[in-house]
Amino acid sequence: MTNRRFEDAGIHPGLAYFLLVILFLGISIYLFEKTEFAEYFYLLSALIIMGNLSETRRTEFLKICFGDEKLKEIRLLENITCAVPFLIFLVYKQCFISATLLAILTIILALVNFRTSLNYTMWTPFSKRPFEFTVGFRNTFYLFFIAYALAAIAISVNNFNLGVFSMLLVFAITLSFYSNPEKEYFVWIHNVNATKFLLSKISTAVLFSAVLAMPVAILLGIFYYHKIGIILLFFFTGWAFLTCVIVGKYAAYPDEMNLIQGIFLALSLWFPPLLILLIPFLFIKSKNRLRYLLK
Amino acid sequence: MIEIKNLSKKFGSHEVLKNINIQFDNGKVYGIVGENGAGKTTLFRCISDLEDYDGKIISNPNPIKNHLGLLLTEPFFFQKITGKEYIQLLINARNIHIDDIEARNIFDLPLNQYASTYSTGMKKKLALTAILLQGNDYFILDEPFNGVDIKSNIIITELIHKLKDMGKTVILSSHIFSTLSDTCDEIHLLSQGSFVRSVEKSDFSSLESEMKELAIGTKIDRLGLT
Repeated sequence: MTNRRFEDAGIHPGLAYFLLVILFLGISIYLFEKTEFAEYFYLLSALIIMGNLSETRRTEFLKICFGDEKLKEIRLLENITCAVPFLIFLVYKQCFISATLLAILTIILALVNFRTSLNYTMWTPFSKRPFEFTVGFRNTFYLFFIAYALAAIAISVNNFNLGVFSMLLVFAITLSFYSNPEKEYFVWIHNVNATKFLLSKISTAVLFSAVLAMPVAILLGIFYYHKIGIILLFFFTGWAFLTCVIVGKYAAYPDEMNLIQGIFLALSLWFPPLLILLIPFLFIKSKNRLRYLLK
Repeated sequence: MIEIKNLSKKFGSHEVLKNINIQFDNGKVYGIVGENGAGKTTLFRCISDLEDYDGKIISNPNPIKNHLGLLLTEPFFFQKITGKEYIQLLINARNIHIDDIEARNIFDLPLNQYASTYSTGMKKKLALTAILLQGNDYFILDEPFNGVDIKSNIIITELIHKLKDMGKTVILSSHIFSTLSDTCDEIHLLSQGSFVRSVEKSDFSSLESEMKELAIGTKIDRLGLT
């Protein structure tokens, strides 16, 4: 499927993989040179990719096709394939604790199915304005527990960087709520124009992500009040990325976000001020894409 | 009022709708019948502005989509969204505020369960409830009786009568002739992308006989059952 996507984008798969390796190495080297948060970004990125692979319907489909045992093998293989480049670089950079944590989470995320074991309707604080956060929260609630636990550990071992990472992890999880385009019907039903629709989506995301990230931010604010500026900067950066992902999603709608957009988003991770240009650009593109459904 | 003029729709080289001309007036119920693939769903999607098309669709109000309740043949539900949240999503989309959604649950659906776990009929009833609560003036119901139990069938029939009395316009498709003859003022027969026959209530029985003749012909005799 990945090969097909490259071909659809007009790039030979061989060349695409080569470019991806170069891009991965380039970003990795730059990241570790420029920021002390690099190893946390690294962990986070690997977890996001693996989180996408554990999507409920995808897992169910694999289970139906291959059965329980084979499913575990496939999921393990997929997660290891995703994690290996990150693991190699973390070991190379002598970040052994992060590498060990990633290795453990790689196996846990592949083998444990949190969803099927909990067959009840989970309450969420987002029911009044469905659907991204209600559905997303129910699918990824355990990751929030991990993020909050990391925040508590960060305070107890007096590691501010880990605390910031846990806050960014919360935002990163919410980004995944917007990874797939919804059916046209669920855009069509809105009786607002494209601009109002996008603003409503963004304001909901900003509000609900704040609900989820605020506990970590408050905790960090209390224990590291002298670093409140940095905490707020990362909080607003989290919002900016969320906004960018939303407008990015609708800029490609009804298709999935394309490779070029993905590269621009990756570049923004590398250099966040790019978002100042990228968000308005994608917003205008989204408006044009949605115009056929929202009149 | 919805007036369709010279509507045509192609998917590639395949012409699904060919020069459709029809008018849907307020306070009337219209039935669209036709075999599978005749173009009913495509026609509904064109009226709803979900498809591009050649020709004109004039409506009052314009655009119609903000006043239109669309019931799809197979309504889609997100994983992990409850029945109540689905209704909330649809009414939020139209800026409608309803506090007592449970009280409006006329089909007694388990609204706090995930909608994706509902049966086909329950899904249809949930989707219908949601578009009714949106306060629409126009309704397109694509096979509303499909998979629905007898009790709910009766309720849906009465609901359509009620909508008509309220001056709303209902366009529906069904493969069950009796449900159409119970509810519709006019029935239009769509075949290979064109309307080939339109009849008013007084002629429904003759249309039914014709359709029966057309559908059955000598097919049952060919089985040679003794």
